[in-house]
Amino acid sequence: MVEEKKEKVIIRAKNVDFYYGDFHALKNISLDCMEKEVTAMIGPSGCGKSTFLKLLNRMNDFVPGARLSGEVTISGESIYGPNADPVDIRRRVGMVFQRPNPFPKSIYDNITYGPKLIGIKKPDLDVIVERALKAAALWDEVKDLLNKSALELSGGQQQRVCIARALALEPDILLMDEPTSALDPIATSKVEEWIKTAELSIVIVTHNMQQAARISDKTAFFFLGELIEFGPTLELFTRPRESKTENYITGRFG
Amino acid sequence: MLKAQKGYEPKRRYLREKIALFFVRSSGIFTMAVMAFILIYIVGHGISAISFSFLTEFPKDNMTAGGIFPAILGTLILALGALLTAIPLGFGAAIYLAEYARPGPLVSAIRLGVANLAGVPSVVFGLFGLALFVTEFGFGRSILSGSLTLGLLILPTVTAAAEEALRQTPQSFREAALALGASRWQAIRQVVLPAALPGMLTGAILALGRAAGETAPIIFTASAAYTLAMPDSVFREVMALSTHILNLATNGTHIEETRPQQFGSALVLLILVLGLSLVAIIIRAKLKRGRKW
Ligand SMILES: Nc1ncnc2c1ncn2[C@@H]1O[C@H](COP(=O)(O)OP(=O)(O)O)[C@@H](O)[C@H]1O
Ligand SMILES: [Mg+2]
Repeated sequence: MVEEKKEKVIIRAKNVDFYYGDFHALKNISLDCMEKEVTAMIGPSGCGKSTFLKLLNRMNDFVPGARLSGEVTISGESIYGPNADPVDIRRRVGMVFQRPNPFPKSIYDNITYGPKLIGIKKPDLDVIVERALKAAALWDEVKDLLNKSALELSGGQQQRVCIARALALEPDILLMDEPTSALDPIATSKVEEWIKTAELSIVIVTHNMQQAARISDKTAFFFLGELIEFGPTLELFTRPRESKTENYITGRFG
Repeated sequence: MLKAQKGYEPKRRYLREKIALFFVRSSGIFTMAVMAFILIYIVGHGISAISFSFLTEFPKDNMTAGGIFPAILGTLILALGALLTAIPLGFGAAIYLAEYARPGPLVSAIRLGVANLAGVPSVVFGLFGLALFVTEFGFGRSILSGSLTLGLLILPTVTAAAEEALRQTPQSFREAALALGASRWQAIRQVVLPAALPGMLTGAILALGRAAGETAPIIFTASAAYTLAMPDSVFREVMALSTHILNLATNGTHIEETRPQQFGSALVLLILVLGLSLVAIIIRAKLKRGRKW
């Protein structure tokens, strides 16, 4: 899990504050995610994990009254700067949601939705579909069903369609918000298996601590909008520096 | 155990239960009976008039004989015209309200407008159509004027039903599209609309079912007492079933002789209107089965 990787910062948040209207949802968050690593976010519900995740691909833009201060950079470029294009950012930073949310369209049309938006056409689309489904470890199960509605698949398969759909755009980063919380244990382990082997920078929110421990390189513990502790997963779970972290991972609250 | 107070003993409760049940059930049965009575009455009086030639021929001999084909055709044309009017406007307004609008004075004003439009009596629409389309715009009594008037009549219902259908499409579809780099409008057009469209159309067709039988909105704006030729442009007058019945039953010298034609036309109109509702119901049932969100 923690074999040596080229340590390079891909996401950097610096002194980020986030507000929903008057509500101060994130307080002075600073954190770096490394390229090709899996970064897990844990913490009790309502502590701001999803908020943090969504500000990385500017999905918070759609929330009326939301406001951010501080700096967020991806590969060194500010994503809230005057030249940042939110649509372009969302293509580089893919997202997988808590409940599988395939479109009510065929598997093929689901995967090609993103590429078609940037004008990619037929022969190339076929290649993209195969590559994305293989990357999401779903190709063998659905290669003969590409024209079937994605809604007819099982929950675990649907979630992997959503992963493939995000991967089709070849993003540098994949954000995952509790991607297995609506899945059964077998489907969960398939998705976890995929995360562990993916050659991608991943930020995953989970409120399952065992899952964070199993799949992530680094873990961030959020509490009431603050980042309490952030470090290598093994260290955070075996030798937490903060008492709040220790209380949480030992199940004393949350 | 607490002892029940006077007036609260089980026996009395059972009695009240029985009385309440009697009244609500009677109301239900009464409603159904009224419906059945109308149906039986119209069918009973109208069925003898109905024949192949009644449905396919033009009226003859001061309308005491022949068919009602031009009236059926006219009603269908006006219905289609009303849909073509109400759908772009109604769906547009619904998309604005459901997808873009943030609470504020403009949205409140639009909602107020839609709600009030729904309460305007249909005869007022008729007069409005007469003043605006027939006279002011110079469209004359025509398919165009009648379609526009009927279209405005169903606009509030079409808008409300379309907005409801849009609101029922899961937020997660929009999120997914936006997260893949779609613009707001792309997400609406490519993902939300295809999912909501059957529901939106169902609402529009149900609204139309009501409007197709209306008399007041078209009597000044579109309908002719009698036409000999098929309409060849949208500026022609047409006959319509509702106004045909009205004319036969209230005007002229053959009111008694044309009774069978009156009931025959009423029956055809009823079937047409119920047919439209049936289409809507079938679409809705298909939709419910096909969708898994
Ligand atoms: N759209 C929103 N408008 C207002 N408050 C919000 C919104 N989304 C989340 N919040 C609030 O922000 C806090 C953090 O929410 P969230 O990031 O979803 O937490 P988590 O994902 O850790 O459960 C919560 O108190 C929540 O109520
Ligand atoms: Mg959350």
